[in-house]
Amino acid sequence: MRSFLLKVGATALTLGATVVSAVYVTAHLKNPSAPLQPTVVASQQQGAVGGLTFTPGVRQGDVQPVTSTYASKV
Amino acid sequence: MRGDVAAHHFEALGTICSLFGVGVSRAELAQGEFWVRVLGARVTRFSKRSELSLLNCSAGAWLDVSPEMEELLLEALRAYELSAGLVNAAVLPSMLAIGYTRSLAEGVSTATLEDARPAPPLPEVLAVRRGRARLERGCGLDLGGIAKGWMADRLAAQLGTNVLANIGGDLCATGPGPQRDGWPVGFGGVTAMLCDQGAATSSVRRRRWGELHHLIDPRTGLPSTSELEEVSVVAATGCDAEIVAKTALLLGPGLATAYCAATRKPAG
Repeated sequence: MRSFLLKVGATALTLGATVVSAVYVTAHLKNPSAPLQPTVVASQQQGAVGGLTFTPGVRQGDVQPVTSTYASKV
Repeated sequence: MRGDVAAHHFEALGTICSLFGVGVSRAELAQGEFWVRVLGARVTRFSKRSELSLLNCSAGAWLDVSPEMEELLLEALRAYELSAGLVNAAVLPSMLAIGYTRSLAEGVSTATLEDARPAPPLPEVLAVRRGRARLERGCGLDLGGIAKGWMADRLAAQLGTNVLANIGGDLCATGPGPQRDGWPVGFGGVTAMLCDQGAATSSVRRRRWGELHHLIDPRTGLPSTSELEEVSVVAATGCDAEIVAKTALLLGPGLATAYCAATRKPAG
């Protein structure tokens, strides 16, 4: 009787672990084609982006630039 | 009023470079050009004998690398992390697939877009140890903008304390500038006064042919279709500006501004 109970318990444990694992895996699918998304402050859905945002660390000047981030590209 | 500013312009790395310095001689700026040319010859993918090409052809074997290449590879890994994978140096197979097999001055090759694949995660294919590196068989690196930003940062630090180094549009400014109000740099259609900062513009308007351009989205392995054509960024260094600008452009209009804000370091 004791042996029978042990067998039943082991079987139940195995089946239970299988079911729990299947549920977990199904709920945590890894999608290899999911887009990578780095951290953002907040999503800003905008139709068009134009102009510049100058933060306090960047100062705007009214003198002729000596060089630029554009002109040097061939 | 800029009489005390030494300037030196030259072509290298397939682009135009400019060096400026206050209290720096023309000879020192010319030495900077020499440094760019020597390092550029190591990191170009267009020469089969370059250090980068040797790594790309190493078929998974560990290879001895120079200290500069080691630093650049670590910078590429940092760029991958900072951009959550969007700035991925392992896009060389895609570069070749779109026909960018040689310098654009020599012209592009026939594109074979069916060969383009999403880039593998860089940390999974590139390992860097002290003086050595290993790249998985079948993978290839293009250090491109990372190398230019990194070189601008190093060059500015090497040349003096009041210097502006512009390597193909990736630039780094150290010191207060010629009038002590920053280095005036054309940026996004305006003039930004940079002081101990870097700047870069990522754009699909240049290095473009037909429907294709050079800015690969590693998620698809194809040229970006994010609807953004150009992003300009000022950051702490030229390399950071390059990374953030490229990432923002790939993210597209919905997330670009938010990403830039998230990567902004607090003042002070």
